[in-house]
Amino acid sequence: MSLAGVLFYVLALIAVLGGVGVVISKEPVRSVLSLVGVMLALAGLFLMLSAQFVFAVQIIVYAGAVMVLFLFVVALLGPIREGPSGPLKLHWAYLVVVLAPLTIGLWALLNQIQFRKPDGLDITFFGTVEQIGYGLFTTYLYPFELTSILLLIAAVGAIYLSRGGRSAEEEREGVEGRSV
Amino acid sequence: MSDYGQLQIGNAGSVDAVQFLLLGAVLFVIGAIGVIIRRNPLVILVSIELMLNAVNLTLITFARQLHNTEGQLFALLTMVVAAAEAVVGLAVLVDVFRTRDVDDVDELSELKG
Repeated sequence: MSLAGVLFYVLALIAVLGGVGVVISKEPVRSVLSLVGVMLALAGLFLMLSAQFVFAVQIIVYAGAVMVLFLFVVALLGPIREGPSGPLKLHWAYLVVVLAPLTIGLWALLNQIQFRKPDGLDITFFGTVEQIGYGLFTTYLYPFELTSILLLIAAVGAIYLSRGGRSAEEEREGVEGRSV
Repeated sequence: MSDYGQLQIGNAGSVDAVQFLLLGAVLFVIGAIGVIIRRNPLVILVSIELMLNAVNLTLITFARQLHNTEGQLFALLTMVVAAAEAVVGLAVLVDVFRTRDVDDVDELSELKG
């Protein structure tokens, strides 16, 4: 097997084991740390697929910032333990009904897949910051600008939600109290 | 028929694009199972992040296979949306947990008609 194949299987194994760890961990903090492992493995796969910029963003923004946010919330909320799960009737039947068509469909799809001829873009400069930036500021300028509005809305919404549970009446009383 | 599905990885040989797609599908299904079977709201959010990452892998695989950067641009936009979703989701979570102790999302059923 070629070096690329070995690298792929190592990273894929880390990603799948991390994914399973996310789902089966009893402690939320282990789930979050498993997800960090998945994201780092996926970042390596992105690099193999010559997506250098996405690789950097994945590590800095995702594995760095977003996961730190998750860890802060875990630390803030303290340990949450899930109680024993209640009985779900026919859960094996549900599993088969959901997974069988998915597996068969996926297998059929990927077995029959025929890849289109590549567009012929120069692969040497593929995925560089220059190319990504060119795409973001020409063809996809509007989506790019819309994401800034989305981020602003998310930031304002998060501040509003975590501002505290004081009702409007309490706020007014507080202001009057101070003025007196 | 020439095989366009074989992706050259630098000088280190080639990997079949189907393998990347299968990995993305497997991770997506693991995340979906996590969303369904876990009842801790925080773990559900983490599983959703896992699903979004799996989709990013698929987008970037096809971008590489087609030599087309648009897939990578979409992956970047997905990351922005995922970050916004995580921020708002966690803020809602903190707000809910401030007023009471919840260890099961099924307990949050006040909006039921």
